[in-house]
Amino acid sequence: MFNFAFNSFNEAIYMNGHGVFVWSVLIIVILTLYIFFISYIFKIKKIKKKLNESN
Amino acid sequence: MIKKFIHQFASPKTFISKVDTYYNFIFYSALLIYVLSIIWGILFTPEDFVQGNSFRIIYLHVPASFLSQSLYLAMGICSITFLIWRVKLAAYLIVAIAPIGAMATFIALISGSIWGIPTWGTWWQWDARITSTLILFIMYLGLISLHSSFSNYEKADKLLSWLVIVGAINIPIIKKSVDWWSTLHQSASITLTDKPTIDPVMLYPLIGTVIGFFGLIICLVLLSSKNQILIREKNKSWVKDYV
Repeated sequence: MFNFAFNSFNEAIYMNGHGVFVWSVLIIVILTLYIFFISYIFKIKKIKKKLNESN
Repeated sequence: MIKKFIHQFASPKTFISKVDTYYNFIFYSALLIYVLSIIWGILFTPEDFVQGNSFRIIYLHVPASFLSQSLYLAMGICSITFLIWRVKLAAYLIVAIAPIGAMATFIALISGSIWGIPTWGTWWQWDARITSTLILFIMYLGLISLHSSFSNYEKADKLLSWLVIVGAINIPIIKKSVDWWSTLHQSASITLTDKPTIDPVMLYPLIGTVIGFFGLIICLVLLSSKNQILIREKNKSWVKDYV
């Protein structure tokens, strides 16, 4: 069940021509999640700062 | 009794304190499960007999697709809670969930389109499943822009709740589209009633990615809700004490 599915690192990247699809989706998912997390953390920091200044 | 229970646990102040207590635990657990399951699925599962290695996109597409519909259902439950019991937090949650739902639907559509290129030979087809998912994405965007166009939050919340309930008709359509119409999209491999048609070697990491992605989405919803509460309750004394 935990056997590495490829013979080499290069094969894992290339995936018989499918690597470009798999890795690009992975990058899109990671980037999207990262952007959302960062944007909400900054939004909360910004509003807390604003509220602190008005207090 | 239900009303008392909901009001006791759904005060924005209590909600924010619970978010602060449990956020880190949920985030790090979900991140760990998601990363390990992605590595397991992408690098340690055997190649699919029919689709080759492109099947590995399943570990990114299915969790997003599942969550895109689940988040809309969550918005529907919040809408009913708000309209029946007038729970403010439920209205805040609807507004907080919408952008996260749009994000999950965006990932589902993009990953599905990229998966379609090696599998179907096309990145887009106007079939029932793909079109109804695109409608869901447009609905999320419409709800977000509609709410932000109102200056009166109370009116916006009511209208949004009704629209969410009406729009919920799209969810069973998305779910059943592959059974009701002849679609390019394959039918569900995992259902509540039947045995999964996917091999356990491929299924277990998929379950892991769904759980991990679900946890990360919960964290995003908690952050988004916290942001929404701070905006909407900014004049309350407890918020001034909190910040």
